[in-house]
Amino acid sequence: MIEVQNVTKKYGDFVAVDNISFSIKKGEVVGFLGPNGAGKSTTMNMITGYIEPTSGTILVDDYDINLKPKQAKKQIGYMPENVPLYPELTVKEFISYMADLKLVQRKDKKEEIEKVIKVTGLKEVKDKIIKNLSRGYRQRVSLAGALVGNPPILILDEPTVGLDPKQVTEIRNLIKSLGKEHTILVSSHILSEISQMCNKIIIIDNGKILRIDSTEEIEKTTSDSSEVIVTVEDEKNKFKNIKKSISEIDKIDMIEEKENEKVYSVKYSGNDDIRKILFKECAKQDITIVEMKKKENSLEEAFLKITEKGGKK
Amino acid sequence: MFAVIKKELKSYFCTPIGYIFVALFLIVVSFIFYVYTFAQQSLRFEYIVWDSTTVLSFIIPVLTMRMFAEEKKNGTDQLLLTSPRSIIKIVLGKFFAATIVVIISLLFLFIYYGILRYFGDVSIIEPLVAMIGFIFLAMAYISFGMFASSLTENQVIAAVVSIGFFIIVSFLESYQGIIGMFSLVEMYQKFPQGIISLKEVVGYISFILLFVLLTIIVLQRRKSVK
Repeated sequence: MIEVQNVTKKYGDFVAVDNISFSIKKGEVVGFLGPNGAGKSTTMNMITGYIEPTSGTILVDDYDINLKPKQAKKQIGYMPENVPLYPELTVKEFISYMADLKLVQRKDKKEEIEKVIKVTGLKEVKDKIIKNLSRGYRQRVSLAGALVGNPPILILDEPTVGLDPKQVTEIRNLIKSLGKEHTILVSSHILSEISQMCNKIIIIDNGKILRIDSTEEIEKTTSDSSEVIVTVEDEKNKFKNIKKSISEIDKIDMIEEKENEKVYSVKYSGNDDIRKILFKECAKQDITIVEMKKKENSLEEAFLKITEKGGKK
Repeated sequence: MFAVIKKELKSYFCTPIGYIFVALFLIVVSFIFYVYTFAQQSLRFEYIVWDSTTVLSFIIPVLTMRMFAEEKKNGTDQLLLTSPRSIIKIVLGKFFAATIVVIISLLFLFIYYGILRYFGDVSIIEPLVAMIGFIFLAMAYISFGMFASSLTENQVIAAVVSIGFFIIVSFLESYQGIIGMFSLVEMYQKFPQGIISLKEVVGYISFILLFVLLTIIVLQRRKSVK
């Protein structure tokens, strides 16, 4: 559905997007992941035809977005970053205007608007002026604007930013359910969020694609940590010497000490989960484990890992 | 195009801007009406229309400054430019919406005309032609104001550029020769005499087309520099 070929965008000497290529097939829900300023929005703006790439081509449903913009843009519903809306209009007026802009036939318009209002849960606020709506509702209005006209492709730029946890879950579920009928490209800088919604992830940083892979593969890389954080109650200071009894442990460092609890970082090698062994050994030596968890990788660490492996596929 | 006109008119009259425009216009017109009818005892309604064109250079920017500057600032231009609607229709929609606001405020002039008509023998042809000229002049101003608005995301800059341009253009009138022929105010002079001459009409339409086209070009080219 979307074909991005060797696309570069330069602002003077600054290269915002550097020779990226990827393709999105029909029915896929693809996550676009990267830190702020990585080039996610720039890429999305190029796919939707808001800005022109310096070089390279973008095909949307086989139409070149810059040569056949009308046909290409018809296929896309775009929810830009920072949810731009017309504050002086009511929700219904806004959606109706978006339907007009998207060339929805007059006879289908009313039905289409009602449908979108229902899907995005805007029924009780449909006659309110957008200026008076909360952030969560505005986000939904923007999403409704993207959905109206039922375009086969949805491009959503950071749809959950600035929402409270409950709203985040709602929007996430909504996107998940939309994924059944639409091809979706959704951007975020939060890995866990993307991995819940998408079945494919594109990781981008500094305008370059670091990796394109299925969600499972990416998650495997990022959770592939060999460090366990253990908090113990250990008056006799025996934990430090536990290394001698377990051969897999490479290194034990104390991170923190509070009253009678000590926090250690345990680094190990080997593929087995060391937590079971550690638990049994501590029980044997009469050390109380208060808390134990595998260290999770933050997105930054995941990036490091992926760049280190040079994992461009 | 009608969708854009409808939305723009809603925006004008759901915010104070439309009302401010009409109010400012009517305040000035009332003053001019007072001067002509009471102070000078004149029945020439076309002169009232003629004099009220001077206020256009200050109030047209009220309508036009927000046109594209505000869209750009709020990011709503992303909605417009990523929609399958062509830029031409969006620009024309905005242009005609502003024109309609001018026509609405012009309709109020018929109240003043009615008052004058009640008390005296006033001709209808000259005032009507003067009003048609008024609309041409207003459209020319709108087209430039719209162009100024497409250049920036700051409404104040758009307004200042437009007012500056309109003031310069009204001074062109005093020049002889080629420069004087570009004066929008000079072109207006035949309308209050009840004459619609081809030369002036073509002059206005060319000016309007030029700046509508420039606006479209600016919006289209902005894609590649943004």
